Amino acid sequence: MTHLRYHVRHETHYHYSAPVVLSQQLLHLTPRVLPWQARLQHDIRLEPEPSESECREDYFGNPVTRIALLAPHQSLGVHAQSVVEVASREAATRPGPSEAWDAVREKLRRISPAPLLEAAQFLYDSPQVECAPALGAYARPSFALGRPLLDAVEDLNRRIFKDFEFDPRATTIATPLARVLAERRGVCQDFAHLMIGCLRTLGLAARYVSGYILTAPPPGQPRLIGADASHAWLSVFCPGNGWVDFDPTNNRKADNEHVTLAWGRDFSDVTPMRGVILGGGEQELEVRVTVTPVSPSPFAARAADRHP
Amino acid sequence: MSRPLLAAYPQAIARYDEMFEAQGTPRPHWRAMFDELDHAASPELMRERLQSVQRQIRENGVTYNVYADPQGADRPWELDLLPLILPPEEWAGVEAAVAQRATLLNRILLDIYGEQALLREGLLPPALIYGHAGFLRPCHGIRPPGGVMLHTYAVDLARSPDGRWWVVADRCQAPSGAGYALENRLVISRVFPELFRDLKVQHLASFFRTLRDSLAHWAPHDDEPPLMVLLTPGPYNETYFEHAYLARYLGFPLVEGHDLTARDGCVWLKTLSGLQRVHVILRRLDDDFCDPLELRSDSALGIAGITEAARRGNVLIANALGSNVLESGALMGFLPPLCERLLGEPLKMPSVATWWCGEPAALEAATARLDKLVIKSTFPQVRRDPVFGEDLSERRRAELITSLRSRPQNYVAQELVRLSQAPVWDRHHPRRLQARAIGLRVFACASPNGYVVMPGGLTRAATGPDARMISMQRGGASKDTWVLSAGPVSTFSMLRRNIGPQDLVRSGTNLSSRVVENLFWFGRYAERSDNTARLLRVAAGRFIDDFPSEHDQEWPAIVGLCRSYNLLDPECPADDEPALRRALLAAVSDETRPGLAATLRQLFRIAFQLRERLSLDNWRTLNHLLQDLARRGPHRASLNDTLADLDRTVVSIMTLSGFSLDGMTRDQGWRFLSIGRRLERLQFLCLALRQALARNQECALDWLLELADSIITYRSRYTARPEWLPVLDLLMLDESNPRSLAFQLLGLYDYLTRLGESYGPCGDALLAPFIGTLRRLDLELDLQPQSPVLMGLLEDLGTATNTLSEHLGLRFFSHVGDVNRQTFAT
Repeated sequence: MTHLRYHVRHETHYHYSAPVVLSQQLLHLTPRVLPWQARLQHDIRLEPEPSESECREDYFGNPVTRIALLAPHQSLGVHAQSVVEVASREAATRPGPSEAWDAVREKLRRISPAPLLEAAQFLYDSPQVECAPALGAYARPSFALGRPLLDAVEDLNRRIFKDFEFDPRATTIATPLARVLAERRGVCQDFAHLMIGCLRTLGLAARYVSGYILTAPPPGQPRLIGADASHAWLSVFCPGNGWVDFDPTNNRKADNEHVTLAWGRDFSDVTPMRGVILGGGEQELEVRVTVTPVSPSPFAARAADRHP
Repeated sequence: MSRPLLAAYPQAIARYDEMFEAQGTPRPHWRAMFDELDHAASPELMRERLQSVQRQIRENGVTYNVYADPQGADRPWELDLLPLILPPEEWAGVEAAVAQRATLLNRILLDIYGEQALLREGLLPPALIYGHAGFLRPCHGIRPPGGVMLHTYAVDLARSPDGRWWVVADRCQAPSGAGYALENRLVISRVFPELFRDLKVQHLASFFRTLRDSLAHWAPHDDEPPLMVLLTPGPYNETYFEHAYLARYLGFPLVEGHDLTARDGCVWLKTLSGLQRVHVILRRLDDDFCDPLELRSDSALGIAGITEAARRGNVLIANALGSNVLESGALMGFLPPLCERLLGEPLKMPSVATWWCGEPAALEAATARLDKLVIKSTFPQVRRDPVFGEDLSERRRAELITSLRSRPQNYVAQELVRLSQAPVWDRHHPRRLQARAIGLRVFACASPNGYVVMPGGLTRAATGPDARMISMQRGGASKDTWVLSAGPVSTFSMLRRNIGPQDLVRSGTNLSSRVVENLFWFGRYAERSDNTARLLRVAAGRFIDDFPSEHDQEWPAIVGLCRSYNLLDPECPADDEPALRRALLAAVSDETRPGLAATLRQLFRIAFQLRERLSLDNWRTLNHLLQDLARRGPHRASLNDTLADLDRTVVSIMTLSGFSLDGMTRDQGWRFLSIGRRLERLQFLCLALRQALARNQECALDWLLELADSIITYRSRYTARPEWLPVLDLLMLDESNPRSLAFQLLGLYDYLTRLGESYGPCGDALLAPFIGTLRRLDLELDLQPQSPVLMGLLEDLGTATNTLSEHLGLRFFSHVGDVNRQTFAT
């Protein structure tokens, strides 16, 4: 039915003007296996070969690969490729209006008996998302008391899409939220952070999702923004529905066009590639992402059945 | 009372008095001390004791950096003459309560970084963990050896008017103060030796032995004895003195992040002889700064990969990474039920009533009685001074309430504690006590047999009689803390008095690459300061009587050398004498341009990095140099003053060089310092000789002799005015003149071959040919300005010394300048 299969290539190249004598990197480049997402094939190839490489799960359950290069090198190439199958989540959403957002807030605020711990992980300030009155003020018009949570969030999602301009030159990974809010421009990471900040300031639980969307659209449909780079959106906690994904960059809920890599409190928890190097001088970085649809093979379809 | 001793001592009405049960009636455990102060000791003896305390503090260099200022805002440690005295039966209660609390906090930590049952059961509010920046998610699931995360723990106690002790704050990150307590003990036990013995004061040494032995017990095992290090953020930290002191006392190398590297899932110390596996890190660096790869995305400090090493169990980090999550006043209110749940017993010592405003009822209660409370930040990541409700104006009060209501989980409200008072000795009076509010910091460490509490502690006294807060940052004083014993006292000493032949240590072990690098540069900058001061003295001296151009036979060479030594701008015209004079004076005093002031500043910066390795005399001399510098300032001084300054500087630098010659053991560290000095001098000599030679035969040579401090020697040997042949012989070939090329070259060669004995060839081959060439020079043909050989020789030698310096750096140094950098790719 609504299973879609993708081939994802995520290429990262560093060039250094001087030798790097020691490099350690953490890679969040392996798609998560989820009830709605099967990972049919995946590998990460490195040039040069790393001296150490191992995989584990991070605190949030995302696969993470740690590599170390101990021999001097002047370039580093990381080629991650995956085949994933994503099912539509629309059918899983409970019909009818969701719980009122302020009722949800009260549930999350209660200390005893123990609240929904999983949601509480994503209620508070995190390194790149600090709650602020300005964020609450921006969000407020969408959150009339008693409004069903998912309605209100959808409205906020739409407003951010409308009010903010996508501009890759406006921000870096270090741009503070206050500036994004003031200047009304940024990229998908900024919009995700902004919306998470709005929701957390209101007392709701929101997490950051890192992933991909389809590069070339199906015929007749518009090309999605952020498709030739890694993408980011967010997930809001809604009792009864669990986590529901919203993509403010594209004014939609994330569904089977979105491939999930990892989630965390914000970008800093799930940076696709985060490292520390010794030496290196000037560095140049090139990142390329391509996501193409593939037609299911009989073998892959069987594999996908295990993760309906 | 007519006693002078108590003339200024107020009777405690609303406070507990540590010394007196009633006015003039000391408590039993204070009686001996009271008698001593009241009449037994003469005023002269008391004065001597006071002086002894101050002298010991000064001589041991005990300091507390107030604003972490490298320019010497180190403040001498404040230590009162009188200890706080606690009787054995009272101490037993404190000891049991502190050990219980440490056990409890450790259990809570294990749960937070393990199954988080306390959160699921609703015994801990998630906001206090998930909202705490000190909850380090990458550390979740790490299994600490022996189930211990909290190896060292400190707790701040206060005594209420009814005599009970209360907990004011828990210190779990990397508690400081135990080293200061130890230092206080060494000082005060020496001024009251009889009392100390007769009262049977419990000793502190076995506590530190327990700490050391327990760390060794839990260290990961391989075939070697464990290498344990103390990790410090560096000399700018406010308690750096203590880090250096404890490291020496425990026998651990003192290391900074640069000294360590993580590879193959292990942590290594970079030493002169290569990488050495580190088994235990006693850290004084905050945990979130420890690993730029996993723990903190905005700082490149620390050791990338150290978390992984801990995860694999290849290194023991004490306290475990993540322990900071316990530092929150908000936790206190939750401890009594947690104690029942985890230890099955009631909490022995209460905490000062503290409410976390994240609970709606607590928020209401706090806002209703704000006047009686002090408001603090819930989380240590929010650095905010405590606010006393009673101090607030109506407007500020309303503002505070608004902040409380908008983000209640960020605040705690705490009851004000009426601290007990204890006597301090009045320094300005022959025999008089004053009363000061005090707080007591007590220390515990984990051992395989449970927590052990240090029998003593760091007592801190408020500055004024009414202070509500006690803080060393704000100028409080400290006291030794005497815990009396009912039975015999353990006399174990870490500083073993009897050292047998098997204990002898002949060379510094584990000399780290960073220390060696700093010593090398200390040598270079000391010598560079000397060269600069002498050259400036020669140049500026030419302005004294007349215009320097009248010395036309030497002036162009001097200006040329100043230019090539970067003291004069090459643009500055050689005939514009007023401009040259201004430029030379500026090169003496202006730190913002190349010259003496800037070089001395560099020297001081490096000396600061070597703080714990330089003797007090070194510091005194460096301080004089620096004070001169500060006094000089960038203002234009007169020529005469400047020349006098330069004379003094030259003498001070020679004093420094005397210390390294006469006061340092000849270990590899000293060798690197000396190599630095000699390399620098050799380069300068080459440069000076080339400038002189370039000016042909007409050049007068007095300046060159003056620069090389060789005038006296020359005059004693030759009565004639300086001539080329004898001058070149003296400055190049005379192997007995410490300012000759030959002397420096041979010395340098010797150091390098010695180094080579331990580490293989170290560049001595680069120098060997020059020694041969110098010795083969033909006195008649070659020692004259036109000689084609000389100029080439000096140029090649200059190049060789540069190559040698780079060579040594690549081989031995940790490249302090080459810092870790974080990279991110999306």
